[in-house]
Amino acid sequence: MAQSWKENHALFLISTGAMAWLVPGAGHYALNEKRRALVIFVSLVLTFLVGLYVGSIGVIDPVHAKPWYAAQVMNSPLVMLLGRIGAAGNYRVFGRANEIGQIYTSIAGLLNLLCIVNAVYTAHLRSVGEAQA
Amino acid sequence: MMTFVATVLGSFTTPMRIGTDPASMLWLLPLVVSIAVVYKATKVYRIQPWPFAKESAVLVGSIVVFIVVAAIILYGITWIVTEQLPPLLDKSVF
Repeated sequence: MAQSWKENHALFLISTGAMAWLVPGAGHYALNEKRRALVIFVSLVLTFLVGLYVGSIGVIDPVHAKPWYAAQVMNSPLVMLLGRIGAAGNYRVFGRANEIGQIYTSIAGLLNLLCIVNAVYTAHLRSVGEAQA
Repeated sequence: MMTFVATVLGSFTTPMRIGTDPASMLWLLPLVVSIAVVYKATKVYRIQPWPFAKESAVLVGSIVVFIVVAAIILYGITWIVTEQLPPLLDKSVF
């Protein structure tokens, strides 16, 4: 019984984290926190898109800017696809536009990491609370 | 419709022209708003429009004030090191 609860609990936390990574705010949506999910989704998608618009798709550069890319990937796995498109085409970007684009997209990724951790922690608290009740 | 979609997608393949003048620092403001909103969204117990907007605005203000104070202090240190110290070091005390 205890083993089954632990397995279900781990699966619940992993699925919540995966959803939160797949689509910003989806982890909170799954926990029935719809307003919170909407605020997170709109803020993060807008920040990421502003970064992409300012610096172009070239700011996602898995070859020449690996540390930035690591933060950008936290937005969603879809960023990997954008990285491949960026690497395949000739979209290199330099100067202030590159800096601002990288900062916006990377900060959006790190903020989504915060939301993923928050969603998983909230799921953990709820699961433990339900088990104790 | 396809032309519109192509234009929108195409605008993401060419970077904007942004100078290195002080006005480019204003780009930090939307980012600060985003950071404050997302941080508050993870912290508040319940999201209600007016209290949430107020708390986010207070956090945005706090961050901007801190950045301005940090910038003034750094500018002051730079001014002392580059303008005030060299003439003092040139003078002999003996």
